[in-house]
Amino acid sequence: MKTKKLVNITLHNLLLAFLAFIWLIPIVWLLVTSFSAYTGMNTSTFFPKEWSLNNYKNLLFSADSVAQFPNWFKNTFIIACCSCLISSSFVLMVAYATSCMRFKMRKPLMNMAVILNLFPGFLSMIAVYFILKTLNLTNNHLGLILVYSASSGLGYLIAKGFLDTVPASLREAAYLDGASEAVIFLKVVMPMSKPIIVYTVISSFLAPWMDFVFAKIILNAGISSQWTVAIGLYNMLERSLINTYFTQFCAGGVLVSIPISVLFVIMQKFYVEGITGGSVKG
Amino acid sequence: MKKKLLAALLTASMVATMLVGCGGSAEEAAPSTDAAQTETKTEETKTEAAETAPAEKQDVALRMWGAEEDQAMLQSMIDSFVANYADVANITVELGVESESTAKDVVLTDIEAAADVYAFASDQLPDLVKAGALQNIDEMDGALQAYAGKGVADVKSANASGSVDAATANGSLYAFPMSADNGYFLYYDSSVISAEDAKSWDTLLAAAEAGGKKVGMTFASGWYNASFFYGAGFTTGLNEDGTTSLDFNGSADYTGVEVVKGMLGIAGHPAFMAIADGDISNQIAGGSLAAVVSGTWDASAAQTAFGDGYAATKLPTYTIGDAQVQQGSVAGFKLVGVNAYSQNAGWAALLADWITNEDNQKIRFAEREIGPSNINAAASEEVAANIAISALAEQSAYGVVQVVGGNYWDPTSTFGEMIAKGELSADDEAGIQTALDNMVAGVTAPVQ
Amino acid sequence: MEKIKAGLNSFGKAIAGFFKEFGEAVVKGDIFVKLSLLWMGAGYVRRKQYIKAILITIFQIAVLAFTFGFAMEYVSKFGTLGTVRQESVFNIQTMKNEFNDYDHSFLILLISLITFVIWIVAIVAYFGNVISVYHLQKRAQQGLHINTFREDVHELINKKFHVTLLFLPVMGIVIFTIIPLLVMILVAFTNYDQHHMPPSELFTWTGITNFINLFGGGGMTITFGYAFVRVLAWTLVWAFFSTLTTYIGGILLSMLINNKKTKLPKMWRTLFIVTIAVPQFVSLLLVRNFFADGGIMNTICANIGLTGWLRDIGLISTSYIPFLSAPIWAHVMIILINIWIGVPYQMLIATGVLMNIPGEQLESARIDGATPRQIFWNITMPYMLFVTGPSLVTDFVKNINNFNVIYLLTTGVFVTTNQAMANSQAKETDLLVTWLFTLTQDYYNYKMASTIGIVVFVICAAFTLLAFNRMIKGDREEAFQ
Repeated sequence: MKTKKLVNITLHNLLLAFLAFIWLIPIVWLLVTSFSAYTGMNTSTFFPKEWSLNNYKNLLFSADSVAQFPNWFKNTFIIACCSCLISSSFVLMVAYATSCMRFKMRKPLMNMAVILNLFPGFLSMIAVYFILKTLNLTNNHLGLILVYSASSGLGYLIAKGFLDTVPASLREAAYLDGASEAVIFLKVVMPMSKPIIVYTVISSFLAPWMDFVFAKIILNAGISSQWTVAIGLYNMLERSLINTYFTQFCAGGVLVSIPISVLFVIMQKFYVEGITGGSVKG
Repeated sequence: MKKKLLAALLTASMVATMLVGCGGSAEEAAPSTDAAQTETKTEETKTEAAETAPAEKQDVALRMWGAEEDQAMLQSMIDSFVANYADVANITVELGVESESTAKDVVLTDIEAAADVYAFASDQLPDLVKAGALQNIDEMDGALQAYAGKGVADVKSANASGSVDAATANGSLYAFPMSADNGYFLYYDSSVISAEDAKSWDTLLAAAEAGGKKVGMTFASGWYNASFFYGAGFTTGLNEDGTTSLDFNGSADYTGVEVVKGMLGIAGHPAFMAIADGDISNQIAGGSLAAVVSGTWDASAAQTAFGDGYAATKLPTYTIGDAQVQQGSVAGFKLVGVNAYSQNAGWAALLADWITNEDNQKIRFAEREIGPSNINAAASEEVAANIAISALAEQSAYGVVQVVGGNYWDPTSTFGEMIAKGELSADDEAGIQTALDNMVAGVTAPVQ
Repeated sequence: MEKIKAGLNSFGKAIAGFFKEFGEAVVKGDIFVKLSLLWMGAGYVRRKQYIKAILITIFQIAVLAFTFGFAMEYVSKFGTLGTVRQESVFNIQTMKNEFNDYDHSFLILLISLITFVIWIVAIVAYFGNVISVYHLQKRAQQGLHINTFREDVHELINKKFHVTLLFLPVMGIVIFTIIPLLVMILVAFTNYDQHHMPPSELFTWTGITNFINLFGGGGMTITFGYAFVRVLAWTLVWAFFSTLTTYIGGILLSMLINNKKTKLPKMWRTLFIVTIAVPQFVSLLLVRNFFADGGIMNTICANIGLTGWLRDIGLISTSYIPFLSAPIWAHVMIILINIWIGVPYQMLIATGVLMNIPGEQLESARIDGATPRQIFWNITMPYMLFVTGPSLVTDFVKNINNFNVIYLLTTGVFVTTNQAMANSQAKETDLLVTWLFTLTQDYYNYKMASTIGIVVFVICAAFTLLAFNRMIKGDREEAFQ
């Protein structure tokens, strides 16, 4: 009986190990390629023939006109922080208004949001570009921050679902104590919404690191020191560059994913609570 | 109702900010002038302080785009340009990054925001001219005469005729030829394939098979697969209304069906490998190829992969019936154009001329091994000694300047893919003809 | 449908009520209310609300200044979208091009639309202002208290707090989502394409020609209709399978990890999450090369004889396995690769939901002798479905518009051999959203892209409305509070 159980457990964990193995193959490939001494793309062997730290060294310490990783990282970090601040507050503001308050336009506004979410965003890219240009915000990090965060209010649904679970009695008690709506929002509801705050912060923080389409259109002056990590790295895949920069591209990918993974691992618990708290009652 | 009122109030402030924003941009014709104006101001204060500069000296701010890997070299060319004209104008040039292969995409998104001077691959010229993004250089003749001591005619005669053709549209010059290296030819490993074998596809493929290696070429691209048709005397062109003219389904020296049968003979050979457009470098590095059709951008990859056997030559001949037909090619160039919406078109033209003149083309070759389009620069011994560039020069005798519209690309790459995948059969002439007709219908269709 | 009708009805009633109130205010209002029709601040001055009066006057001046100082120039050309083509003459003296005062069709369209939005807001504010002033008059007549400015502001963090909360987010949505969308909807009725690109060329209204081309067409020259149907079919198939597979995969994986037999569950979870952290344009690009025609996977398959075997049984005709370069193979591979991308996310969600399953229910089922399988199908799954149903629908819609996976896996790798598709710049693996991306980015065919975009939108909207109405019976949110 005991051995059977042991075998069972071993098999179970082996299955998991197998799955994890499959999931990690591309990641491992990324990692080993980033340590390759060869600069182009090597598709014939999994592990590089020669190992080297040069890609990281070049990327971090000897920026040239193609690879300015430290600059890009700084830009993206600033953009990500600002847009994450704006979007998180927008999302939470809309969520609170729609979840905890009752007013005449509430339902129409919510239906409107559902419909707007359906439209393919790429379509309006060119219009967004010209709006930013009219406001003199192209080739400007502020413009990019606005693009990432201005419409974020539309993604309020999960946060609203979470706030729906905050007992109304708490707010009523605060009312009776004479607290204003603003005080309830900031001092009563927000402290209880840590998971959903973490969730919104993480998801809005990620967007600037991943987007290579909008950023390229808005930062169109060709000043490579202004770029974000995503445009910079994506640019290394140009036909004339890929042979010399592919492994640096991989190294860049690794460097970007390290802070994001750390963020994820630390915040995992909140993230899960946030998204499920939200979708449970979505 | 107070709610609405307050909303209105808040809107008012928003409108006010918008007004400020719009008003600001309405004053300037283009965003580039903004930078220009501020820079001009600082320049002025500088000259006042110096009290030496002549009063009529013009202040000029330009922006220029060039390839990422050329930035340092371009910057030194700019420095020499600024120094050269220092006594006539105070020129400041801001250098930006934009790959020659994607310049069109960025320029056409917003021409008014694009750089004054930008480099691009010659196949983008028809689209750029059509969109009005390029300054007619013929109109700049006076400016060149006055400041550069040469005219447009001199530019035309200094560069290879193919490059001038590629920079010409509707009879006018629209860009300055910069380099003549954007075409393709055959790289091969001379330890597997002899120079004699490399002369025809049949012997080439046989030799590769004997050596257990493959010969690679991109079929699924109208840029590559048109080479077979050009070799057989077919042409492509652009009509007045912007549609493409194409006659691959008819006949030139041979019929289109015969050409396709020749292509099928190559594609069906076991030693042939059809490679996706973006995958050529990887495949060269992968080591399974003994020969490959590609351009100078893969020179270093080929050199590494083939080692001592590294060699290059013109494209081979292919078989139509009993005849051997020399494969043609697309003669591609890199050009430097002037933005039609530039605020300083005259100076921009001078800059474009400067970075493409004979001396700078020589520098470009010396530093980056980029093949010159300038006839004198190309005649040097160093250029002749460069394996890849001399192979390209050899092929250029069969090169065709490809002028086509946007609808050309997808139907032709699909046609190439059909051949590469073996979806057409050499016995089925009717099927081939239908496929050709479909392709021509798609390419020549008006833009919908 | 009834819901929509009811919604429209109530909307109509609200508007009618609004105008009725306005009429009453104009008729019964005193001289200051009537003066408010001209000078919006008048009524407030009468009630001594000076700050409000100043603010609303600024608003009025701003709107008027915007309209006559800036917008009219564009709005007046809205009917034609501009008539003056760009021309320039080079002046050798100044070394500059001298331009005429040319029209930019797109800016005319865009700024006209912005102006329309501002006008609508201004008109609503204008009517609302009169009504509000009339209310003040009534309060004054009845001898009731009239709020001071400070009290009004206080309202904004109390009863009217939602206005404060919603103002900026709604502003952002209007400027960065609604106006661009309206612009692109209008583009579908113009001939904005590569031959009519501002600033050098003008474009103009063409009615519903583009819709006719999309659904009509014919022959091999205009194949948008042909391509559209195929792309739409694959879009729906993809959205269905990608949603379903990642959903089920996520549940299974989370159950596997949360099983008591698992050692170090946290470590396993972390390993899977790492794949989320790598930007998709990096990881998908690597995966694409991994499965390329000449990539590692093909080398391995050839070495172990799989390629030869597949060729022998007639599944492939090429010397390699066309993982991402033949339609059926590519479709299957894309869905499989999407599992790789999507399951870790779903696993996170499922983990959270599974932890919330009421423990007693599971316990009593186990006591009753239910097998784990029965428990899964009869308790776990219904609970999961109940809880995550709405998010399934949003996932489906998200997948319809899933750009990254398809674009990164197929661009430059997959070339269609279907000539009719190729003649309208589509390919078998395209989703509607990637197709319209190609149309705008590579072919500048904005008019067709917008037309397709509108149709995609209609489909998504129909689906979501249907599904949401089925899944969410009644208003559940109140029940939870």
